[in-house]
Amino acid sequence: MTRYLVRRTIFAVIVIWAVATLVFFMLRAVPGDPFRAMMADVDPQAADELRRKFGLDQPMYIQYFLWLGRTLQGDLGVSIYGSNVAVSRIIMEAFPRTLSLAGLAFVISLVLAITAGIISAIRKNSALDHGITFLAFLGLSMPDFWLGILLIIVFAVNLHWLPAIGYAPLSKGFWPWFSHLILPAVAAGTPFSAIIARMTRSAMLEVLKSDYIKVARAKGLTEQTVIFGHALKNALIPVVTVMGIAFALLMSGAVIVENVFAIKGLGRVLIQGILNRDYPVVQGAILVVSVIFVFTNLLVDVLYTVIDPRIRYEG
Amino acid sequence: MIGSSHRHPRQKLRETLKSAFDFDPADPLFGLTRDELRGPKLSRRAVLRLMAAAGLLTMTDLLAACAAPPPPATTGEEAAPQAAAPTHPGGELRAGWAGTGEIRTLDPAQINQVLQFQITSNVLGGLTHINPDLTAEGDLAVNWDVSEDGLEWIFHLREGVTFHNGDPFTADDVVFTFNRSKDPEQSIHSRVLANIEDIQKVDDMTVKLILSKPQASLLVKTLERSSGRAMTIVNKRALEEMGTDQYGLTPVGTGPFKVVEHQLGQGVVLERFENYYDPERPKLDRVVITPIPEPEPLAAALEAGDIHLIGGNAPAAELIDRFEANPDLVVSQITGPGFQALWMNPHREPYVVKDFNKSVEELKQENGFKVRLAIAKAIDRDDLIKRALFGRGQPAFGSVNPAMRFFFDTAINDSSEQRFDLAAAQQLLADAGFPNGEGFPPLKLMVTPAGKREGEILVDILKQNLNIDVELDIKDFPVMIDLFDSMDFDMLRIGSGGDYDPDDALVDWMQTSSKFNGPNRPEDMPFGYFSDAEVDDLVEQERVERDLDRRKELVQKANKITSDKVAAAFLFHPLDILVYRKEVTYPDVSRIPGLVDLDRVTIES
Repeated sequence: MTRYLVRRTIFAVIVIWAVATLVFFMLRAVPGDPFRAMMADVDPQAADELRRKFGLDQPMYIQYFLWLGRTLQGDLGVSIYGSNVAVSRIIMEAFPRTLSLAGLAFVISLVLAITAGIISAIRKNSALDHGITFLAFLGLSMPDFWLGILLIIVFAVNLHWLPAIGYAPLSKGFWPWFSHLILPAVAAGTPFSAIIARMTRSAMLEVLKSDYIKVARAKGLTEQTVIFGHALKNALIPVVTVMGIAFALLMSGAVIVENVFAIKGLGRVLIQGILNRDYPVVQGAILVVSVIFVFTNLLVDVLYTVIDPRIRYEG
Repeated sequence: MIGSSHRHPRQKLRETLKSAFDFDPADPLFGLTRDELRGPKLSRRAVLRLMAAAGLLTMTDLLAACAAPPPPATTGEEAAPQAAAPTHPGGELRAGWAGTGEIRTLDPAQINQVLQFQITSNVLGGLTHINPDLTAEGDLAVNWDVSEDGLEWIFHLREGVTFHNGDPFTADDVVFTFNRSKDPEQSIHSRVLANIEDIQKVDDMTVKLILSKPQASLLVKTLERSSGRAMTIVNKRALEEMGTDQYGLTPVGTGPFKVVEHQLGQGVVLERFENYYDPERPKLDRVVITPIPEPEPLAAALEAGDIHLIGGNAPAAELIDRFEANPDLVVSQITGPGFQALWMNPHREPYVVKDFNKSVEELKQENGFKVRLAIAKAIDRDDLIKRALFGRGQPAFGSVNPAMRFFFDTAINDSSEQRFDLAAAQQLLADAGFPNGEGFPPLKLMVTPAGKREGEILVDILKQNLNIDVELDIKDFPVMIDLFDSMDFDMLRIGSGGDYDPDDALVDWMQTSSKFNGPNRPEDMPFGYFSDAEVDDLVEQERVERDLDRRKELVQKANKITSDKVAAAFLFHPLDILVYRKEVTYPDVSRIPGLVDLDRVTIES
C-alpha cells in the first residue's frame, strides 16, 4: 500500500507538471495581449514598458524555465493585471470561498442524493420512486444559473429570508457564512445530487438482487441491517467514484454559480484570468485545480479499500 | 430624454455663460485676471471660462446641470436645505458595482477603469475636484495663484489635513505623487503630466507648478482628484510600508472614507474617516461595495434591498425600464461622454477605399465607398437605440459627443452624409453592384461577449434594410482590441467613454497617427481604418488653437469630414445612468457624470 501510494504520488506530480507546462504554452498561443487589453484607454506604447517589466519580451523557452524555476520554489508570480498582487494571495483568498461553497454543496447533495437513492431503490416503482426520479431529472436538466436566479427571487426578493448575493467568511460567524452560501450551494449541488441519486438507486438495485443479500435476509436479519449493513457499503463503490469527480468539479470552481451569486472563488479567478490574459493567474489557478483533481482521485482510490477491504493495491 | 424636466430658463446664467466665451483668445490666463484665477474657490465665471477653454462646456448642458432636476417624487416636500439635516446621520450604504467581477486596483497610478476611480474619489484626495454645477473647488489646495504668463502656479495647501494613517498632508506629498506619477515604470498616466515641467516645494504648505505652456485643463482635469488620477495624492509612508500591491487594495489617502477591508474580488468596505477636513462630511458611517458581474442577480439584489445603489459599469440596458417601473427605486439619467461605432476595414472587400484624400463627391464614384456609405445610411439609429439600449442613448454621427457641449455640432444629425435614408442606401448598394444585396460577400462583425445582443440587432438591421448577411464573431476584449490594432477584421463594433475634450475624440481616434488607428497594422498597409490629410491638419490646428470659436469651427469641420467620409458608421452616444433605492438621498451636488461620490449621500435607516 505504501509503495502504491508513493508510486501514485510520483505519477501525480508528473501529471501536474505536464498539465502546467501544457497550459503555459497554450496560454501564450492564444491570441490577445494582456497589456494591450489593460492599457486600452492609455497608450499602446506604454504597454511595451510593462512587457519588459514582466519579462514577456523574452524568448518563450527562457520564460518557461524562469517560470518553472520560480514555481518549484513555490513562487507563483504576481498578477500582471491591476496592482501586481501575488498570485498565491489571490488563490489563498479565493480558496476558502470555493472550499466553503463546494463543501456545503457536496454535503447537501450527498445527504439528499444517498437518502433519495436508497428510498428509490427499496421502494422501487412506487409513487415515491417515481417522484424522486422526476425530481432527479428535473435537477439534472435545470441549468444552474437559472436555478440560482430562481432561488434568489424566491428566498431573497420575495421572502427576504436570505441575502441575494455575496459571501461572508466563517470568521464573521456561522449564520452570515451559512446564509450567504446555502442558495449557491443548493444551485451548485443540485445537478450532482441528481446524478448521485440515480447512481445510488441503480447500484442499490443491483446489489439487492445478489445472492448474499438473499442469504442475509434468509438469516432473518432485519431489513435495516440488510440495507445499511450489507447492501449500502457494496453499492457505494461506483457512487464514490462519481462523488470524487463531483467534489473535484465543485472544487475547481462552480464558475456559473459563483458568477450568479457574486462569489469570487477559484472558478472565477480562472475565468477572469483567462479573459484578461493574466498568464500567472491562469497558470497558478490551473496548477491548484490540477492538484485538487489528481489528489481527489487518489483519495477516491484509497477510499475504495476502506469501503471494500477486498480491494488491495500492490506496489 | 435628457433635460426634458429642466425647462426653466435661467436668464442670469445665460448671461454668465455668454461672457464665458467672450475673452481674448491669445491670453494665457484665458481672459481672467490673476485675482479671478486665485483659489480657494473659483467664481462661477472663472470656472466657466476655464472649462470653456478646456472644451468642457456648452450652454445647453449648463442649463440642464444648473436647473436642478426635481428631487425624487416622495421627497418633494422635504427637500429641505442641507443644513437642516443632521450633519452625521450615519448608517451603512451597500453598493453593487455592476458588470465586474473584481475591484482589481485602487492605486491611482494603475487605475484604468472608471469603476475603480469611482471608489478612489471617495477615499483619496487631489488638489482640485469638479462639482456637477460646474464649479471647481480646491480639494487639498485651499487657494492658488498664477503668474502673468500662465506658466507658474502657486498652490497653497489646506492646513490640518491628515491621511487615514495619521500622517499630516504637506507639500512633500504633492511632490512625491508627482515624481511617482511621471515615472512610466510606476504609473500608467505619465503622459498626462507631460506639460508639467516641475513641481517644487516652496514651504510645507506651498507648492509651485511650472508648465511648459499654458494649459486650460490644468485645474479642471490634470489636478482633478478622481478622473485625473495622475495627481491623486498618495501617501509615501503607507506605500513603503505596504508595498504597491497592498496599497492597490487598501490605499491610504485624505478622502472622506477610509478603506478598512478589501477582500480580493469580493468587495471593499469603507468607513467614515473621523478626521476628514470637512467635519460635515461624510454623512454615512460605512459603505460596502460588492462587485456583481451578472445583471439579473444585480437587479434582484437591488430589488431585495441587499444593495442600495448601483455603481461601476452602466447596468445592463434591459434592466432600466424595470428599475423605472419600480416605485422603490430612483433612476437618474444624464448625458454621458462617449460614442460607439461600427468600423469597416477599408482594406477589405466589398468596401475597399484606397485613399480617402478626395472630395466626398469623388469618393461617391467608387464602388467601395458606395458600400460603406450604404451601410452607414441603412442603420436607423433611433431604431437601434430603441432596440439595443431601450431608448437610452442619442444618435451619433461622429466621435465628438454632446457632453463636449460647446464643441458638439448640433446640426450634424441632419447634415451628415451618414444620416438614415433607406432608399438612398439601397440605391448606393445597387450602384455598387449588389442590387438588393445580391452577390454581397458574407462578412463578419466582431463584438465582445457583452456586445452580443446589440450585435445581433445590427445584423438584423443590415439584413432587413440591405438584405446582406453579416455573421457575428464574438471575441474576448483582449483579442478584439488586438485584431482592431492590427486591422484584422471585416466589421468591428467598438467606441469610447469618458471623452470630455474634443482631443479625446479626434486625436485619439481620427488622425492617421491616432493611437487606435491600426497601430499594429501590416507594414504594407498605408493606414488603419481612416486617413485624411485635411482631418489630420485640422486636428493639429485645433489642439493648439486658443480662440474658442475658431477651435470649435476646426473641431466641427474635422468631425464632419470623418462623418461624411465614413471613417466609421457612427451609432450612438450612451447616457450616464445612476440607479439607487428610495431610502438613499443622492444630492444633485454629487451627481457628476461617471462618478459615484458618496460623501454627501445619506440613507434612511
